[in-house]
Amino acid sequence: MVGYRSIQANKQMLEYHYDGTFMGLLSAIFDAFNRKEYPDVILRPDGQRLLFATTHTVETNDSQAQRVLNGIERIGGKPTCEQLFHAFLSMSPDMEILLLDYTRELFFRKRPIMADLGNKTVLQVHKLDRKVLREAHRSVMFIRFERAADGMYFAPFAPKYDVLPLVIGHFKHRFTDQHWIIYDTSRDYGFFFDGKRVEQISIDNPSFSKDSGKLKEGLEYENEDQYQELWREYFRSIAIAERKNPTLQRNFMPKRFWKYLTEKRI
Amino acid sequence: MHFDYAQCKTGCFLLLMNLQEKIGILSAAAKYDVSCSSSGSERANQPGGIGNAAKAGICHSFADDGRCISLLKILYTNHCIYDCAYCVNRRSNDIQRATFTVKELVDLTIGFYRRNYIEGLFLSSGVIKNPDFTMERITRIARELRLIQKFNGYIHLKAIPGASQELVREAGLYADRLSVNIEIPSESNLKMLAPEKNYPSVLSPMSFIKEGIVQYKEERKIFRKSPLFAPAGQSTQLIIGATPDSDKQILTLASGLYGQQNLKRVYYSGYNPTNLYDSRLPAISVPPLKRENRLYQSDWLMRFYQFTVDEIVNDEHPDLELAIDPKLSYALRNPHLFPIDVNSADHHMLLRIPGVGPKSAKMILAARRFRKLNSEHLRKIGVVMKRAQFFITCHELPSHTIQELKPDRVRSILTMDLRKKTLPNALQLSLW
Repeated sequence: MVGYRSIQANKQMLEYHYDGTFMGLLSAIFDAFNRKEYPDVILRPDGQRLLFATTHTVETNDSQAQRVLNGIERIGGKPTCEQLFHAFLSMSPDMEILLLDYTRELFFRKRPIMADLGNKTVLQVHKLDRKVLREAHRSVMFIRFERAADGMYFAPFAPKYDVLPLVIGHFKHRFTDQHWIIYDTSRDYGFFFDGKRVEQISIDNPSFSKDSGKLKEGLEYENEDQYQELWREYFRSIAIAERKNPTLQRNFMPKRFWKYLTEKRI
Repeated sequence: MHFDYAQCKTGCFLLLMNLQEKIGILSAAAKYDVSCSSSGSERANQPGGIGNAAKAGICHSFADDGRCISLLKILYTNHCIYDCAYCVNRRSNDIQRATFTVKELVDLTIGFYRRNYIEGLFLSSGVIKNPDFTMERITRIARELRLIQKFNGYIHLKAIPGASQELVREAGLYADRLSVNIEIPSESNLKMLAPEKNYPSVLSPMSFIKEGIVQYKEERKIFRKSPLFAPAGQSTQLIIGATPDSDKQILTLASGLYGQQNLKRVYYSGYNPTNLYDSRLPAISVPPLKRENRLYQSDWLMRFYQFTVDEIVNDEHPDLELAIDPKLSYALRNPHLFPIDVNSADHHMLLRIPGVGPKSAKMILAARRFRKLNSEHLRKIGVVMKRAQFFITCHELPSHTIQELKPDRVRSILTMDLRKKTLPNALQLSLW
């Protein structure tokens, strides 16, 4: 890949623009194949533009995107598709080119390459996949519900990556007899479960504080404070003072989660 | 806190204490039980029910000591008729005592669960009146959770030594995991520290649970809907450093428990100095954390690295080295096995390389089908090359391995490295 790029260095740089969605990126990959060219960057709407580059704006086309996805699945199987989607969610700076490289490699070699961890592209996708799954697992661990007066359980959360869609199924299976909202405060959207199905929502006039995640005064269930206090009491007394280890605690439970954690927020 | 109304009928004694104080007392009393795992069960939710169990287990928080909080780990009561020397709850200790009502514990579990604080309940207890009476209370709480509240989250129950088989069987129907704590690694020392207890009273419920699990697994093969019996298996705990038992004794016992009793987990709990007035106990001021850590590492070697117990400890090496981990210690004692060629060695041998874990071993096996691996590949895959370099050859010019350097030199290089890491910053700077 490096050689290929250096040849292009003499030419004008080529810049793709896409809409920032997974289907959009797959469409960009389709275009690259279709136009037989190799873009230097594939930019999402908020990306940093190059100077003096030729640009091509990718039209998101679901059927073309689907063709790419089908091709990936035919050779690499479902796990490869999932891995690429997770890597996409990481939104790491060079993720788009990485996924393009991966797809080219996959189509060129015509066999699953997921396990070829001696290959840089494959290893990097593998690592991004792990990072995103880890964040997804952390949301399963650290999401905290607060009960509102109307019986709704509300959980604000601010994951590093857009992982809520990956974990909603878990909550749907677990909490079937309560209504709940899990809300991503950094991306400003969330999911609402009404006892039957899950719906994607966004809240215009939040009735909670974005800093602490706490519901506004008067909206809470009357015993909510007591439950939270009981939990904090438990949290305090289960620790063995002689073995205090704040570093270990932070390794497992990074500080960025604390603001919404019942037992840690002030 | 105004929870007292719920207790009016149960008597004036309980009226004096509110729920928060009870939680404080009864979770502090349970904190020395180190088990926290919520894994091994896939109990599904039912229509109209609440909760399910995740096969891999989920930690929900980490306490100030860095230990995972997965379950509401708590005692039903810290009253106890026994007087075990190593236990904070022994009857001769003058401490505040408390007992939950069934309703309190059930409400607490459900309330915490609905807020995603916990995976479920880990219920243990001091022994009141007699083992059967206590076991009946514990079972009643689990029954109420399962049958009335339709709670399908994780439940870990203690089987009380000496309780009747009928009660333990019923507990197994509700619990995902059952455990009986052995606590003291040898019978003679148990006699000394807890004269009212004996090994048979611990081992017989353990065998009974094992049979129950085996039987349940057989039935499941025939009838898919046969009732669950402790699907996440059973575990136990050993206290480390309260008695002069050697690591060999401890690990041999653990190995036997994994083998014959089919245990899922053995936990090791470094003895936390309590009851210092008791002259039968060693006079130490801090728990033996390093030793505990080495024992866990050895336990992992037995469960995930295909080591046998006598490869880790034996008559020449009855105790684990504290300065280096047991796997490195094994490698240094057996230099003839190394260096291992990562491009051809089998899984079993890959797992013996210090710096290679089960994950990286798997990745090596997968990746080397595509190309020969060199040290750069290995490093990126996640092999700790700092340690592994002395024990491997790969697709590269030969380097200095344990064969050229000799074990003593490797040891000093690796332990020097460790020491550097623990030097305080100020000292490191002044060396400049």
